[in-house]
Amino acid sequence: MATFELYRRSTIGMCLTETLDEMVSNGTLSPEIAIQVLVQFDKSMTEALENQVKSKVSVKGHLHTYRFCDNVWTFILQDAVFKNEECQETVGRVKIVACDSKLLTQ
Amino acid sequence: MAATTTTSAVYINVIEDVINKVREEFLQSGVDEGVLSQLQALWEHKMMECGAICGPIERSSLPKQPGPGGSAITPVHDLNVPYEGPEEYETPTADMLFPPTPLQTPIQTPLPGTSEHSMYHLPTPSDYPTPQDSGGVPEVKPGRPSPYMQPPSPWMNQRPLGVDVNVAYVEGREEGDRGASRQPTTQDFFVVPSGKRKREDLPPQVPGSGYIPQQDGAGDATYDVFQSELYPYQGVASEDYNTVNTPAGHELHAGTPAVVAPNEAGDDDDDEPPLNENDDDDLDDVEGEEPNTQHLVLAQFDKVTRTKSRWKCTLKDGIMHINSKDILFTKATGEFDF
Repeated sequence: MATFELYRRSTIGMCLTETLDEMVSNGTLSPEIAIQVLVQFDKSMTEALENQVKSKVSVKGHLHTYRFCDNVWTFILQDAVFKNEECQETVGRVKIVACDSKLLTQ
Repeated sequence: MAATTTTSAVYINVIEDVINKVREEFLQSGVDEGVLSQLQALWEHKMMECGAICGPIERSSLPKQPGPGGSAITPVHDLNVPYEGPEEYETPTADMLFPPTPLQTPIQTPLPGTSEHSMYHLPTPSDYPTPQDSGGVPEVKPGRPSPYMQPPSPWMNQRPLGVDVNVAYVEGREEGDRGASRQPTTQDFFVVPSGKRKREDLPPQVPGSGYIPQQDGAGDATYDVFQSELYPYQGVASEDYNTVNTPAGHELHAGTPAVVAPNEAGDDDDDEPPLNENDDDDLDDVEGEEPNTQHLVLAQFDKVTRTKSRWKCTLKDGIMHINSKDILFTKATGEFDF
């Protein structure tokens, strides 16, 4: 199964990366097994988003920067409003990084 | 600070899923199962610290529980209990770090006291092979775990060999392996996430005497200079490198600076800093200076369209980190004006 490393930059991914970093640094884990854990995280996170999440979101804002490189879209929005069923959030500046979903289904 | 309950539940499921699915590989590699518990405990602890998980984690399934049933169990959260901040987890107990489990008793699990100490003690810099400041310093932070988009640690680029991680990272040692070390099943979009390159991202140095003189145009190397560049550490040659604006015959230095050691390359080469050190655009700098205001959405796109200055996109399977909250979505629509 193909996966993205995209989600490693999320909170949960960063926490895992830090944990693995510490454990590799103090010799508890070998680097290769740490990488295997990260790869498994890529898979588990992708599956969880597909299967366990139902929420829908709409985003509006001023597009400050757009970029499409290596099949990754990057948007930087200003004064963006995020709405979902429960809440609405406004941020002055937000970055959106999106990989091509078709790459996973191929 | 608080995550939504659903986000927290999904995160807990993901943690359990990962732990359950790597157990087999841990055992095959001869890694003690206690290490796996330690990994899970530390991971969960960090998540609670930054508020991404609302504790307490109710383990109806013991973390050890293997097999297909293990990952399917969804922890139940009592929504009527007010959320209590992460403070109560600031000092982890041995129970938290090493949840009591039936299986692991006789194995050489590290003593709770000692390893707790070592895990939460600020290590000396020499414990870390990482050259970056931000890379993986595990100090306990109250807020977010760390700035986003820190560069990957060196060990992530290492080929899976028996590497002694206690040895200080030697710059350039692993450079040659870099290409082969990518995980073949994944797409690596984030090798240089911040746009700011570190030294280690400089192109691989040509090992040993593998220098190839440039012979393709105005900057061709003559034989003399070629010889001196072969032995850059000998007296005469280094004089050449430190002499700026030496006339006649030395403009060929502009040709191939790659063979010199990185700091020497900095001195040489027409006062130009190494590639990419200072050529970030302002936007990236702004983001780097304010990691706490960093709002980020990570997702997959289905479609992106534009009509004049009106952009529309449909995203799916995303993680948003906005106003210190983590929100997950399965679909998102965006409408932006440029």
